[in-house]
Amino acid sequence: MLEATNLCKFYGSVMAVQNVTFTLEPGQILGYLGPNGSGKSTTVKMLTGLLEPTYGEVAYHQQNIHKNLIAFRKILGYVPEEPNLYPHLTGEEYLDMVGTLRAMPPSRKSTRISSLLELFSLWPHRYVTLGSYSKGMRQKILLIAALLDNPDVLILDEPLSGLDVTSVLIVKSLIQALSAQGKAVFYCSHILEVVEKVCSHLIVLRKGHVLAHGPTLAVRQKIGKSSLEDVFLDLVDDVDITQIVNDIVGVVACP
Amino acid sequence: MISRTKQWLQERRSDFCRSPFGCLVELFASRMFRGAGDAEAGELDLGVGVVLVLLAMPGLLVSLLMLEKYGSLMRFLRGEGAFDPFKATAPDEYLFIVLSVSVTAAAALWRWDTIFLDRRDYANVVHLPLSLGAIFFANLCALLALAGVFSIVANGASVVLFPIAVVGSRPSLSLFLRFAAGHAAAVFAASVFSFFAIFALAGLLTALLPPSAFRRVSLSIRFASVVTLLILLSTSLTVPDLLKRLSITNLHRVAVLPPVSFLGVARTVWIGANDTFGATMARAAMVAVGVSLLTAMVAYTLSFRRSFIRLPEVADARPLPRISYVLSLLAFSRKLAFGSSTDRACCQFVSWSLLRSTAHLQTLLCFLAVGLVISAEVFAPGSYHFSAGQSTVPAVEFLSIPFILGYCILVGIRFAFEIPLDLRANWIFRLWLDPDRHDARSVARYVLLLFSLSWMAPLVLLVTWAFWGWAIALFHTAMWCASMLVLVEFLLIRFRKMPFTCPYPSFQSHSPLIAVAYLFGFYIFKSWLPELEEWSVLSPINAFSIVALLGSALGGLRWYRNQMLDMDKRLTFEDVSRTTFW
Repeated sequence: MLEATNLCKFYGSVMAVQNVTFTLEPGQILGYLGPNGSGKSTTVKMLTGLLEPTYGEVAYHQQNIHKNLIAFRKILGYVPEEPNLYPHLTGEEYLDMVGTLRAMPPSRKSTRISSLLELFSLWPHRYVTLGSYSKGMRQKILLIAALLDNPDVLILDEPLSGLDVTSVLIVKSLIQALSAQGKAVFYCSHILEVVEKVCSHLIVLRKGHVLAHGPTLAVRQKIGKSSLEDVFLDLVDDVDITQIVNDIVGVVACP
Repeated sequence: MISRTKQWLQERRSDFCRSPFGCLVELFASRMFRGAGDAEAGELDLGVGVVLVLLAMPGLLVSLLMLEKYGSLMRFLRGEGAFDPFKATAPDEYLFIVLSVSVTAAAALWRWDTIFLDRRDYANVVHLPLSLGAIFFANLCALLALAGVFSIVANGASVVLFPIAVVGSRPSLSLFLRFAAGHAAAVFAASVFSFFAIFALAGLLTALLPPSAFRRVSLSIRFASVVTLLILLSTSLTVPDLLKRLSITNLHRVAVLPPVSFLGVARTVWIGANDTFGATMARAAMVAVGVSLLTAMVAYTLSFRRSFIRLPEVADARPLPRISYVLSLLAFSRKLAFGSSTDRACCQFVSWSLLRSTAHLQTLLCFLAVGLVISAEVFAPGSYHFSAGQSTVPAVEFLSIPFILGYCILVGIRFAFEIPLDLRANWIFRLWLDPDRHDARSVARYVLLLFSLSWMAPLVLLVTWAFWGWAIALFHTAMWCASMLVLVEFLLIRFRKMPFTCPYPSFQSHSPLIAVAYLFGFYIFKSWLPELEEWSVLSPINAFSIVALLGSALGGLRWYRNQMLDMDKRLTFEDVSRTTFW
């Protein structure tokens, strides 16, 4: 069980995240929603132990993750927001490197790499350097790298970015299947439709503060909106969408 | 035996690389050797083999020359008798030390950005179950391995060939070993010193400056380092002569140069502690190696703590400094130069790319550094002409400086045009530019002139005016500008690409010929044109001959261009080898 308690992060005097508290149970998929600059990525970095919170703590099984970060990262699978990979390595070499760094037994590592490359349709491209991969292919490599060591906790930051329709469907189902197997999934995204369909629980963030937290259905009912999109707009954005659209059209069409 | 040892070594290496720490070391070592390797982005990835060959070449070539110089047969044919190898080879030993320092430092400067772990490493490695200590020590091991590889590759050939050339024909093995040991100690110590000096410099800057300030000064520091290395290289032309003329115990005049200290290391091994000067210099060299190593380690630790661990808290990039007035001046000049907004947009893209892309600016600054050092070399012996009042006519050395600098800058920019800048982004030009109507030469010409004539012409005019009056200043500036204009036309004779938007040109059979043409061009600009100008200053009527010469060169270029097929003038975004860098 992953617990975040009163997480606060300040960059100098700028507050990025304030008093974020939640619990991620095994089998749960927690959606983390918020507009740009709301503090999503900062939260993800604190959950993965890349950043230390200014106040508060992240605990796994009641133990602060920073007390034994290596053990925590052993059970963690992480897909970062940007597929910033080493372009001189091939897909297979990169996964082999990740497996080795995770100290996986060589036989298990190579079997999993081969199978996952095949299943993610990257087998024909396994000897191609990552510099030549498309964005979607890089994203698939990140997903494979996150799943390689069968982690108990998955932290996914925009995992569907750049994927084609078939791959999106596969990954969405995969997340649900993994959750059914007892994995805890933290899902950070902008794509409301996916979050609505995939996540069992939801946190809506705005300017570093939690606006809503609870089961997806309960949050929707509480706000009294029919779709998550409406909930999101109601909670997060103070803007008049129609007005902005009209303004843009006005600027574009202006002679 | 050899195959068993080889197999044993391979197994040990394989075992090491299969461990997480070994895998990290291998990863960090490979990232230091390789470029970004982003094929789509068009970034340069020379590969380990090519890099090593490039590093080894200077030492190998000079060693081969030494075989010719000291070979017993060649000496016999030249009628030269016996010689003291320790005394006679001091100037050549100095040259090897300078080469060792320069090649290793240049390699370290080239990999400056990859010495320390960056955001990509952070994103890929830190979230894995590895301690920060393992990452710290793995990169340190990779750095030490890199220093070792650079030192061995840069000096390997000379350590073997130089002793063979000098004392290979002597019957004494102990003499051979003593000579080889002295030479090896000197050049390896010099390599280690220069690598860690650059490492320490980069580390201290990373540790002490905020990331944005580091990015800003990094290029200037590297430029200054390249200039220093070139100056050091140029001392190999004068210091060996001094070493020959001065007695070895009377070398305090040149002792401030680091390579002289390392020469002391060689002499101490060769002659022993009896050579007081050599022993003093050797001590200084060892202290220098120790200090650079220690500073590098401290700087690395500090930078790891201050920079790498805090990476996620630091923004990727800061806003650029506001230089709106400069940009508005550029916009005004673009408006004057071009009627079409497409051309103006292309000019803006090329100018900003050249100013903001580190790789391109580095290339340009390297050429400028070469120009500065050659100018200094050319000017130094004739500096007495510089004092106003002593002569009414400027010396050829003085006149040649702007020609040398101008040539280097223009060729540097032209070279930079061939370096792609993220090829994935060139779709915008492919989409919008009409290959049949758009003339890439006019854009390239504008940028070449903007980055050379626009600032150098006023400078040339003012400096010449200050020393030789307005008449000579006007004449000199006009001649220089005309020569630069002709050079620009030469450089763009077959140019038909939008700068930075095409892949690297491939190597062609005529590529060496082009290199020779550039060297010949340099010779014309360094010697012929300044001499012609001096001749014209002495007798102004002669100026017409220069005007005729430049005019006919322009006419010839125009004729050549006119008789080219239309398809050879058409704008392209592919590597068209016939048009490369010409």
